[in-house]
Amino acid sequence: MTASAAFRLDRVSVTFNGTAAMHEVDLSIAPGEAVAFVGPSGAGKTTFLRLLNATQRPTGGCVRVDGRCLGTLSSKELRALRSRIGFVRQDLALVPNVRVIHNVLAGRLGRMGLLQSLRAMTFPSQAMSMAAHEILERVGIGEKLYERTDTLSGGQQQRVAIARALCQQPTALLADEPVSSVDPARARDTVALLTRISRAEGLTLCMSIHNVELAREFFPRLVGLRGGRVAFDDAPDAIDAAQLADLYRLSAAEMLADGA
Amino acid sequence: MARSAALPRRPFPLQPRGAVVIAILALGLWSFVALDLTWAQVLPGADDFRQIGHFFSYAFRPALTFPAEDDVAGRAPLLVQALSAAKLTLIFAVTAISIAAVLGIVLGFLASTAWWAGDPSGARTTLGRYVRRTIAPTVYGATRLVITLMRSVHELIWAVLLLAAIGLTNVSAVVAIAIPYTGTLAKVFSEMIDEAPRGPSEALRAAGASPAQVFLFGLLPRALPDMAAYSLYRLECALRSSAILGFFGWETLGYYVKQQWDVGDYAEVWTYLYALLALVLLVEWWSGGLRRRFVA
Amino acid sequence: MSDRAVAVRALHAARPRSTYVRWSMIGFAALTTWAWWAGDFDVADFLSPRRMANLERFLGEVRPYPLHGRPWDWGVAWHWAATMFTDGVRARAFELPSGAEAMAVTLAISVAAIVLAGIGGALAAFPAARTFATPQPFLPGSDRSKAFQRRAWGALLHGTRGLLVFMRSIPEYVWAYLLIGMLGISAWPAVLALTIHNTGILGKLDAETVENLSPRSLAALRSVGATRRQVAAVGAVPAALSRFLLYFFYRWETCVREATVLGMLGIASLGYALSEARVRDRYDDMLFYVLLGAVLVLIGDLVSAIARGIVRRSA
Repeated sequence: MTASAAFRLDRVSVTFNGTAAMHEVDLSIAPGEAVAFVGPSGAGKTTFLRLLNATQRPTGGCVRVDGRCLGTLSSKELRALRSRIGFVRQDLALVPNVRVIHNVLAGRLGRMGLLQSLRAMTFPSQAMSMAAHEILERVGIGEKLYERTDTLSGGQQQRVAIARALCQQPTALLADEPVSSVDPARARDTVALLTRISRAEGLTLCMSIHNVELAREFFPRLVGLRGGRVAFDDAPDAIDAAQLADLYRLSAAEMLADGA
Repeated sequence: MARSAALPRRPFPLQPRGAVVIAILALGLWSFVALDLTWAQVLPGADDFRQIGHFFSYAFRPALTFPAEDDVAGRAPLLVQALSAAKLTLIFAVTAISIAAVLGIVLGFLASTAWWAGDPSGARTTLGRYVRRTIAPTVYGATRLVITLMRSVHELIWAVLLLAAIGLTNVSAVVAIAIPYTGTLAKVFSEMIDEAPRGPSEALRAAGASPAQVFLFGLLPRALPDMAAYSLYRLECALRSSAILGFFGWETLGYYVKQQWDVGDYAEVWTYLYALLALVLLVEWWSGGLRRRFVA
Repeated sequence: MSDRAVAVRALHAARPRSTYVRWSMIGFAALTTWAWWAGDFDVADFLSPRRMANLERFLGEVRPYPLHGRPWDWGVAWHWAATMFTDGVRARAFELPSGAEAMAVTLAISVAAIVLAGIGGALAAFPAARTFATPQPFLPGSDRSKAFQRRAWGALLHGTRGLLVFMRSIPEYVWAYLLIGMLGISAWPAVLALTIHNTGILGKLDAETVENLSPRSLAALRSVGATRRQVAAVGAVPAALSRFLLYFFYRWETCVREATVLGMLGIASLGYALSEARVRDRYDDMLFYVLLGAVLVLIGDLVSAIARGIVRRSA
């Protein structure tokens, strides 16, 4: 379909109010690659994904998408770049009281002018409606096109959020903990769906996920994050149990800091 | 007692809530003294009672036609006159609310923090930073000041000012209602916009939508049902405001209430009061139905 | 037509929608269009040279009296305003109350009225609440009441509600006008007008609050033998008080606003000073009282916001 995006982090650091959330990380993701980010909560997984779609600015270093450093882009270029990166947030962030088609087509806003978007969001053309329907069918809920979003189940709403990201006609798909917002039985379906679609359309896929079993099953590359640093970065078979145990073991200091 | 000693002692004998109640009652007492209000003034004598009873007795027999001696040939029947007064009342209220709702959305948006505070992408250019740090807070503050001034002056006072400045025209009536109602709607809309969840807006911005698109399709749809319900409630209030403009010369329902009260024709006073009651209840019933459906 | 187009069309035809909301929107659009068309709004006349000349004259006259026909001077204007605030106007022909007195009286009217309305609304809330106005409140399953008892309580419920509707449907200003005729000139008509209208509103809001109280604790009280009145006093009032107070302060804000206009009654409030200044064409004095009213409304909003904060925190 479209070219897929390549990401590259050069010595990227992020500090929130003096605390380092990410420390001089180097990483590169090839076009079309599927990468899972694992690690305990607070390890910097969400910050990592937000760096990739430029909603989080690095305090040091440089994030490159297709070779261009994000810090040097004008706001117009940045808008164009963001419109090509689909992001499925953990909280889905759908507008609850409108029809599904509105939430799906909202993904296309980045490539529409104001007047054009007003028409598309009030009286979508047949071509637009059919495009939305086609995308919803790909995620398996084509018949929900005109339902009110908040009447859908949690799993279906997650699919609407994925459809909105796909409606962006993205070159990369980022998903933040897509497993945590659905029950365990559906978690596998969701991960399978995202990896299948990304592979079929040649999209670069980055997913943060706390379920290591699912990550091992579906991803050829796992990146372990801990305390804002890369703990390991390898194929699932090359990662042994000790490395994983290390990743999730809380140090005494961390436990005290957590107040637990 | 041993058991009560074990209980933690309360720092104050009174909850803050209780203190508020006591303060209210004390202020109430002060106001009665300051106004020289005595029960003797409000307990009417036998004569007054008769007059009050007389007035309320007409509640059960409002006039439906003019009395024979007033029924001059060519004069429209009473009910037609009441209907046309109700019509003008409704026209002023509806037009004023339609202006106030549109201006209220614009000013409410400017008076909200949604469009400038806490944009995670940050301002990237010098101009952008200047807009964010200086211009945006100034526009925000100025808008809040304007809407506060608009609503802190009562619509009747706006009417009096416009009467003196412009004169008795239908436009001045609508403007007089529209000014304070715009202020109130803008204030409430700005709160509703600020309270709407920010998640969808952030998601749309991350997908490359422009600020105007983010507002129109990420924030507004969520706040719209509440805004519509509140506007309908204000329409109800605008009907009452429009009716009392009649006391200042516009021929709405209040005009005839005053006129007939002054000549002592209580039966007709009740006719116009019931017309107002019917208008208000109609809108209340309609907006109640809408609110139930918005919630579901 | 492709299969997908057919499918989308079928889904569109079968989409869930509310006819009520739909027709309401169409109805409101039609109503607005009609109102604009039928209202005989002559904007050209509103902006005609004659009216604009009138506006210009008016703007000249709202300048403080000592500055008529002279360049603006803040010192003179400030001195004039300060004198108006402390002394008012004592001309040979008429007097205007001092700004301070007019403000105090206006404030007192609003406070007296809202206190009465707060008490009245809280009392009316119980007969107007479905949960209380029944023969056996909070005792499901043991309703052995007779039909006439049920009907009597139903009559009380709907009678109270109807009365509250009537009280709030008539605007304060109309109530005040009718009451002066009945009670003569004192502060009472203004106070009572505000009381009646706001009792109607607070009674409705308080009744909704009482109906939404958790029935479990009230039923527990009832089952240990508390009477209807005891349940109300010991169970319902403490649980609902915070909400009552929040509504009370919201309505007080509007009371202050209304009190600034209910002054044509010959008591020395802002509205009276304003209308006296108006009939004597003293537009500078009128504007002074208008601005003073705005200040009072702002103070009221501020005090109310603080009080509501206290109530919220202690709830």
